[in-house]
Amino acid sequence: MNEKYGNLIPTGQLLDGKPRTILFDAIKCIGCRQCVHACKDWNDHPRTTVFEISSSNWITMEPPVLEGLSPLWARNSCMHCEYPMCAAVCPVEAITKYEEGPVVIDPNVCIGCEYCIYACPWGVISKDDLTHKASKCTMCSDRMSEDKSPFCVQACPVGALDFGLQEEVSAKARTRAQEVGGYVYGEKEAGGTQVLYVLKEKKESYGIRSVGPQKYPKHKISLPLMLKDLFTLRCGLQGKVRALYLAIIHPRRLLYRYWPWRQVV
Amino acid sequence: MAAGGLEKLLVANSSDIFPRQRKTTLPGGYMGRILRVDLNSGSMKDENLPEEPMLRKFIGGQALATYILLRELPLDAKPYGPENKVVMMTGPITGTGFTPGGTKVTAVYLSPLTNHTLGRGAASGFWAVYLKAAGYDGIIVEGAAPKPTYLYINEGRAELRDASSAWGKGATETEDRLRAEVGIKDAKVMCIGPAGENLVHAAMLCNDYNHNAAHSGGAVFGSKKLKAIVVHGTARPPLYDRARLIEAGLRWRKTLMVRHEAEKRTAGHAVDLGAAPNFNFRSTVIEESHIEGFDKNRVTLRPCFQCQRLCPWDVELKSGNHSGTVGHFNAGSEWLDTFYNLGVRGNDALYLAQRINDLGIECSHFSCGVGVAFEAWEKGLLNAEKTGGLKFEWGNVEVIDRLLDMAARREGYWGNLLAEGPVEVAEAIGGDAPKWVVHTKKGTPALHDWRPHFGQMIREIVASGGMKPQGGGSVNPPPDLKYREKWGPLDRNDPAGWSWSNALSEQYRQFCGLIGGCWFAQMHMKPDGLNSMIDSFNATTGWNFDIDQALEAGHRSAMLQSIFGTQRGWIAEHDWKDVGARFLEPVPDGKHKGFTIAKWLPELVYEYHRLMGRHEKTGRPFMDTLKKLGLEEFQEWAQLD
Ligand code: SF4
Ligand code: SF4
Ligand code: SF4
Ligand code: SF4
Repeated sequence: MNEKYGNLIPTGQLLDGKPRTILFDAIKCIGCRQCVHACKDWNDHPRTTVFEISSSNWITMEPPVLEGLSPLWARNSCMHCEYPMCAAVCPVEAITKYEEGPVVIDPNVCIGCEYCIYACPWGVISKDDLTHKASKCTMCSDRMSEDKSPFCVQACPVGALDFGLQEEVSAKARTRAQEVGGYVYGEKEAGGTQVLYVLKEKKESYGIRSVGPQKYPKHKISLPLMLKDLFTLRCGLQGKVRALYLAIIHPRRLLYRYWPWRQVV
Repeated sequence: MAAGGLEKLLVANSSDIFPRQRKTTLPGGYMGRILRVDLNSGSMKDENLPEEPMLRKFIGGQALATYILLRELPLDAKPYGPENKVVMMTGPITGTGFTPGGTKVTAVYLSPLTNHTLGRGAASGFWAVYLKAAGYDGIIVEGAAPKPTYLYINEGRAELRDASSAWGKGATETEDRLRAEVGIKDAKVMCIGPAGENLVHAAMLCNDYNHNAAHSGGAVFGSKKLKAIVVHGTARPPLYDRARLIEAGLRWRKTLMVRHEAEKRTAGHAVDLGAAPNFNFRSTVIEESHIEGFDKNRVTLRPCFQCQRLCPWDVELKSGNHSGTVGHFNAGSEWLDTFYNLGVRGNDALYLAQRINDLGIECSHFSCGVGVAFEAWEKGLLNAEKTGGLKFEWGNVEVIDRLLDMAARREGYWGNLLAEGPVEVAEAIGGDAPKWVVHTKKGTPALHDWRPHFGQMIREIVASGGMKPQGGGSVNPPPDLKYREKWGPLDRNDPAGWSWSNALSEQYRQFCGLIGGCWFAQMHMKPDGLNSMIDSFNATTGWNFDIDQALEAGHRSAMLQSIFGTQRGWIAEHDWKDVGARFLEPVPDGKHKGFTIAKWLPELVYEYHRLMGRHEKTGRPFMDTLKKLGLEEFQEWAQLD
């Protein structure tokens, strides 16, 4: 793990260290949003809303129209990047990449600086209005450590979601893409993700973002936001101290935050 | 004040049902409140759910709603009078998200179809889930508004709003408009179409595009000028044991017979029944033409909230004169048989089905009425002079389309007559026409040709003294009850066992509804089908019902339904005497040609009522039955000898 990540981001293990992947099959999906409600149910989030990503809605099915009323549907949630930029930019190392796949924010550590929100190429992190912490899909890391599949996956009534070991799921995705004359999304994006989509139409028809193959893609954290976090009371004194301490002990981790122009390591 | 006097007062106005302050702990699954809306004055009030012992007895859904209605509805109430009430109740498993079928809300009222029995409409989809998310387990609607109104409940706050922008509109458009008006995309709408507004007796409640609660709730809403109830909220029911519920819900899910897209391209339930009604129930044959064009249509499954059975579906017609029409349906497919019965085939039937749902007319009521009229035309009893120039020919889509609008708006002679009902249509035509009607107690069965099927026929004609049956003798009795039940042969040529099979299935289906479950998702014929449902209920509430207590709760609910009828003049003899002759004729052709349960009547009906603990002729419950079910307070309506 450390070799792969060169000690650039916090890493960890939940179960057996074997990487896993979620598969979303857009051809099978009927747009019922049972996955969306399942995520809410598992995480005890408020019943609504289901149409926008928020701290209480970690997944949306796009487009934002009523269930079933679109011919095409796409899942929109954390892709669990192999090289997660959200984790790379976090000044307090609140985001961990687990070997099994999940990229998880620890709300107890998060200081609410919002860097990750701007760094995520898919824009799937939101800030909790009450706690001011960053929040997103956990790939059900709590379930994964008990060797259970993500709750959204088990909820899907038509088998449009699948889950398993990365190699097997990637192979499945490719076979399925071939079968339907489609392609796999997520294998190359941002250096590869642990959520894969099988799509048939053009990405744009699903409203899915184009993300280049670069690992730790360039972030969009604005300079004013950084300055604000450095020089104002935002994020608390403790947060700043912690960020400073971590900058000293892990200086390499500053690379991605402050050197967005760097090339892939 | 003397304590006794006070007590009497409380009993009289039923406020002993709803405690001012709870003394007992609220079991899991409930939100704890019922909204009481008085449309006369526009005032609203929160009622606490009953104390735990009463709640355990009636649980929710139809039983709790009917109990409230029995306690509050004056005996001389008229269906369209402001004194009629609509009581709507969910159940504890509604909206937990962890079980299939946790989607149900049941509305009860005095039925304008029969004027003397319980009207019941039950809806699935999403609405009930969001009613609970808004903080309420149920609603009691009283009085009548002076002008078109809708009720909007958002996050525990209720208000009455002007519905003039939606008045006159179909159900789908009403839903879209009101959702836009409240400005919340997640809001869910239950509404009536023009049929409800115009007091078509069989008008429906419509919700979430694909869902319709039949049997005249829409007409009662219309009489109260209540166009819709819009709900939204973020709350979720508290759960007693979440982990156990998840486990039980998964077990339940395993028992489901999942439906598939391919099924939606067939003639629907008619295929399972081996008979489609054609030409006013005069032929049962299913031909290729019935499904013409279905293979080319775009079909999308559109399941209810967190239910994997996949009943509802949408269709976009890809051929025929109405290509491009989008239809929203649930699984029942009675709307398809409705138009098969009028000689319509293929995509035209789907087009008309969408129209009738949008107008909000219970399809069977329309089909049985028009069926008689068309037959009368065929046999020369009607001609263009009498029909205002409309050609009452089988399969005439334009004429049927026109009649739909006329019926929904009570327009002209025929519109008005069809809005009244098939019995009235037949009487107006005269001659032999009354012999051609399919009806039960003046209402109509869900439109399928049930005639070849023993259990279903008993269900349709008895319906526990009401119009809407639950249950229906299955040829696949529940394995979960094997340990104690002897089924008898359940053979088509032998009446033995069928009445009991119906009584029993009525009980577990009722139970499923009471707990807030959808009986389409209740798969008794598979092992664990009943147990997993009861376990889900226990894990949600913290109660510990066994299968017998569950059946007893269902039995109690069925009994409340018949007591309501008894109070207003229903007797068991109506069950087999007040039935349209055509419904009891032998199957005219096909696989089951010649079959009829008529030769075993009235014994089957008698047997059924005896097994349910009622007198076979009066339908009144025996004192023993009332005692067993804890309903002694209704002893005034018991059969005493
Ligand atoms: S998709 Fe965004 S939030 Fe998820 S791991 Fe990648 S960068 Fe982080
Ligand atoms: S908001 Fe800031 S501190 Fe919190 S997880 Fe994101 S980057 Fe880290
Ligand atoms: S993986 Fe878990 S947390 Fe992520 S969307 Fe699915 S249910 Fe929600
Ligand atoms: S549950 Fe499955 S079919 Fe439904 S929206 Fe989610 S992925 Fe699509």
